Amino acid sequence: MKRNSSLLPSHPHRQPMEDPLSLIPRATTKLFSLWIKAMYPFAAVGHDLSVHPTCLLSRRIAPRIHLGNSVVIRKDTWLNVLPEASGELNIKIGDNCLIGAQNVISAKNLIEIEHDVIIGTSVLIQDHNHAYEDVARPIRTQGPMPGGRIRIGQGSWIGHGVSIVCNQEELVIGRNSVIAANALVTRSFPAFSVIVGNPARLTRQYDPSNGIWMGAAARQAAVVVCSGEIS
Amino acid sequence: MSTGTTRRARSQDPLNLGPRLLRRLYTEWLRRTYPFASMGSKVSIHHTCKIDRRKAHRIKLGSHIRMEKDSSLGISLQPEQEGDPVIIIDDNCVIHWRSQIGAKNLIHIERDVLIAQDVLIVDQNHAYEDIHTPIADQGFTEGGRIRIGEGTFIAHGAAIICSQGELILGRNCVVAAHSVVTRSAPPYSVLYGNPARIIRQYDPLKEEWVTGPVRAPQTELVP
Repeated sequence: MKRNSSLLPSHPHRQPMEDPLSLIPRATTKLFSLWIKAMYPFAAVGHDLSVHPTCLLSRRIAPRIHLGNSVVIRKDTWLNVLPEASGELNIKIGDNCLIGAQNVISAKNLIEIEHDVIIGTSVLIQDHNHAYEDVARPIRTQGPMPGGRIRIGQGSWIGHGVSIVCNQEELVIGRNSVIAANALVTRSFPAFSVIVGNPARLTRQYDPSNGIWMGAAARQAAVVVCSGEIS
Repeated sequence: MSTGTTRRARSQDPLNLGPRLLRRLYTEWLRRTYPFASMGSKVSIHHTCKIDRRKAHRIKLGSHIRMEKDSSLGISLQPEQEGDPVIIIDDNCVIHWRSQIGAKNLIHIERDVLIAQDVLIVDQNHAYEDIHTPIADQGFTEGGRIRIGEGTFIAHGAAIICSQGELILGRNCVVAAHSVVTRSAPPYSVLYGNPARIIRQYDPLKEEWVTGPVRAPQTELVP
């Protein structure tokens, strides 16, 4: 096999350098971040913002978005605020948050993501839903439900493909919680939880009185479901 | 406005040549400049794919592999670390849009595996057990190893996650859309759900597909 060909020679004792072509997306991301920081009327925007140019982020809704320091938003992510939105601020993203690629964050009331949250790819967070109860009209003309509010606690990790949907009242994910891949979350969970499945349930939680992580009772049920069926 | 019912297109849209040429050029660039452990012939990689050149020596690619737009091969090891490849993709695999493979120990995808869109395959996880630190700063768990048997199909949005030990999917398995697989499965299984369970399997004694997992007597499935 061909290694270390003539175009970009890498010395056997030295690390291969980064692909120079990767400078192009890095530069466009940097430029785009500077552009939107200068030109978009955000409610607040911190330093070291990084937003990929393919993100769908309308200038019209920027006054309703608060971005903290060192926020990273990856490719193809959509930050949406509905025209029917209520209140002053609808999306609040804290410091050091990482919003992965292909996410949809769609707010009608308030979606608050606290500090140090990491969000994987293909995640959906929405605090409302389509109304569907009028049987005489297509759902697309029925507008949104009143919706609720979502708060994601600091230091949490939201895995790949998670959906967090709140149709009413408040949905709070406590701090340092883990939401496992492809979970569908529709209700609140306390701090230090591990949340899996569709619909989401608690499988593991930190017990502050003993200082250890405990498997929740639901975990036993999960073992029963799986045993004997997957060797 | 033409209806297009009587006329049939004789050739492809010439506008398709642009992206095809770009893909060809980018693949050639990868072949000539990236220090892959190995790379077979007729590989086709879209230019939006994410592969870190500094870690390319831990990736081994077979022949006739297609990697579509925005798919990524990630390695959560330091670039200085030398060692055996941690991502091995055998011949004729297809990795579709936005699928991610993230390896720390070993992810081996055998030949003829079809991976659909938005699939996640990782052999490690974020550590979360220190409650005083944000999960983002806690690094990764030890993780396990994953082997995906030949001819397997992994449908849209599925996640295959191995936190510890070894996860092996046998040959010609089907992982249904949006399933979450965290345990091994024998060959010719259909896995479905979150968490995934086997809803259908080929019974080699009856020589037919049966609903649910094949139960006792335990038989040796054709490897």
